[in-house]
Amino acid sequence: MSSSLNVNVGSVNLKSPLILASGTCNFGRELSEYYDLNILGGISSKGLTIKPRNGNPGVRVAECDSGMLNSVGLQNPGVHYFIENDLDFMKESGAAVIVNVAGHSFEDYVDMVTTLDLHKAKIDALEINLSCPNVKAGCMTIGSDPEAIKAITSKLRSLTDLPLWIKLTPNVTDIKATALAAQEGGADAVVLINTLMGMRIDIRTRRPVLTNNTGGYSGPAVKPVAIRMVAECNQVLDIPIVGCGGIADYKDVVEFMIAGASAVEIGTACLVHPALPVMITEDLDKYCEDNKLQIKELTGTLQRW
Amino acid sequence: MATRKEYKIKLISKELLNADTCYLGFECPEIAGTAVPGQFVNISAGTVFLKRPFGIASVDREKGTFNIGVKIVGKGTEQISKFETGMEVDCLGPLGNGFDFEGFGNVILTGGGTGVFPINFAYETLTSLGKNVTVCEGFRNASQVILNKPGYVLTTDAGDTGIKGTVIAGLDTLNITDPSGTLICCVGPIPMMKAISVWAEEKNIKCLVSMEQRMACGAGICLCCTVKVKDDGPDGFKNVRCCKEGPVFDSREVVWQ
Ligand SMILES: Cc1cc2nc3c(=O)[nH]c(=O)nc-3n(C[C@H](O)[C@H](O)[C@H](O)COP(=O)(O)OP(=O)(O)OC[C@H]3O[C@@H](n4cnc5c(N)ncnc54)[C@H](O)[C@@H]3O)c2cc1C
Ligand SMILES: Cc1cc2nc3c(=O)[nH]c(=O)nc-3n(C[C@H](O)[C@H](O)[C@H](O)COP(=O)(O)O)c2cc1C
Ligand code: FES
Repeated sequence: MSSSLNVNVGSVNLKSPLILASGTCNFGRELSEYYDLNILGGISSKGLTIKPRNGNPGVRVAECDSGMLNSVGLQNPGVHYFIENDLDFMKESGAAVIVNVAGHSFEDYVDMVTTLDLHKAKIDALEINLSCPNVKAGCMTIGSDPEAIKAITSKLRSLTDLPLWIKLTPNVTDIKATALAAQEGGADAVVLINTLMGMRIDIRTRRPVLTNNTGGYSGPAVKPVAIRMVAECNQVLDIPIVGCGGIADYKDVVEFMIAGASAVEIGTACLVHPALPVMITEDLDKYCEDNKLQIKELTGTLQRW
Repeated sequence: MATRKEYKIKLISKELLNADTCYLGFECPEIAGTAVPGQFVNISAGTVFLKRPFGIASVDREKGTFNIGVKIVGKGTEQISKFETGMEVDCLGPLGNGFDFEGFGNVILTGGGTGVFPINFAYETLTSLGKNVTVCEGFRNASQVILNKPGYVLTTDAGDTGIKGTVIAGLDTLNITDPSGTLICCVGPIPMMKAISVWAEEKNIKCLVSMEQRMACGAGICLCCTVKVKDDGPDGFKNVRCCKEGPVFDSREVVWQ
């Protein structure tokens, strides 16, 4: 891998723009059996909460054309278990450590950030998940309200010096308003996008395929929505954007960066091909060489009609 | 160190076992060389987005080939059944934890439906190890009976072949003299495995079950495939990954739905 893939998300330097998206890589251990995680720009942990969570019961995945719905419901071992058992592994992988923080209430996020701040030497950024569609309270409810986003971001800002990346939901009318609220609250970056809320129905039983009824749509099908949101936000934001949604090859990475992303996250495509980041990294290297450029030069170079 | 790979596996044989089930042979020395009974592969199924999981039904370690049996139930399995020999497909495997026969002189393999495929692999492995194996399989009717071998105890709900009744009726005919040295390995539909685990518990025989859940990755990274197991924590249960901690579990650990 060459230095041409170097990017910065604010103060965070990444050796590649490619980050594994939260919830699609657990804490990296399983994927380290497939490739050397050191090629990655970063790894975003599974969404963590203060207490362990069992997540939702029953069927949690519904396949769709070019993607899938999931309703995992933030199953995770709890932040304390994570700190004891997984954080060192992530740190030693050589990829930047992004810790994905979830919660049900304002206080949950405060507790989480206070706890994680004690381990800041091992963490490169906190990704504040204000966007999970699969839990009843918190997350997406806060993430749809610009005032709440601003309030929670500024509160968390006062608790830590760690870079705060606010991960936003696409399930809103005006993504610019929620992104600007994060910026005003003191976010270092926004991550766009989490999953789109959806439903699939088994026509024989007339019941939703997912036991949770609804789930979050991800995969190649959602890419145009994510690209549009990155491009829109890039017109109004001063802070960097991390693009996410439907990436499956190097051209998708390039497209996100042209739209305005400083780095990208890849999720669902890795569920189908776990070692896909190896191929994408090689292809990006070659793209930079062929086009004689540094990948970061692409960010926000969209030429609108 | 990276030790796992996604393989391109070549289809080398295909036969129809009954109207809606086919038996496919693939070339992949890495999978054939290391797979143990109870493990599965996750393979691309044509145009559908996600891979599909199938239990390994047999391996030929010398030739570097393995088999899976596929029952057509939807779009993915339909497309797999139309694969032509010579074509290559993406495959992850071997995945999950297989059966641990260690310490048991007698093994009863039991189940039905597509469970007969992993049972077949277990049977081949155990007989080559010289263990005492009994197989007891249950089907709906004679037309569903596949991969049956001489000596197997066979039951059908319809009674048009074998013993009439469920697989339990078949298990009841067995003469078990050494419960603590006997292991039951069970693969089949959930209600069948639940009934067998109750039967095994009454007889004080250890029972391993191979659970099924809808999967996305098969590699332990998405948490879509969870199975409920008993736990001392506040919820009284814990969701664990079928593809990683399973698919084989001790039946006493499973919280049956
Ligand atoms: C560990 C494991 C081992 C398996 N081994 C075998 C095997 O050896 N042979 C075999 O034929 N099948 C096996 N299956 C089931 C097989 O994976 C599914 O039948 C297949 O994925 C269905 O794909 P489809 O596209 O045809 O069906 P879809 O169109 O996706 O679904 C059609 C219907 O099939 C059922 N179904 C779908 N996925 C699953 C699933 N994962 N488990 C149970 N039911 C499902 C549902 O009722 C659904 O409505 C196994 C599943 C698991 C998890
Ligand atoms: C199975 C699954 C679990 C996810 N869990 C989380 C999570 O815990 N926290 C989070 O912020 N996003 C989670 N996501 C969303 C992804 O990180 C990502 O934002 C989204 O899937 C879009 O990207 P993709 O199309 O590349 O997957 C999850 C997605 C999937 C498919
Ligand atoms: S299917 Fe993804 S964790 Fe099991």
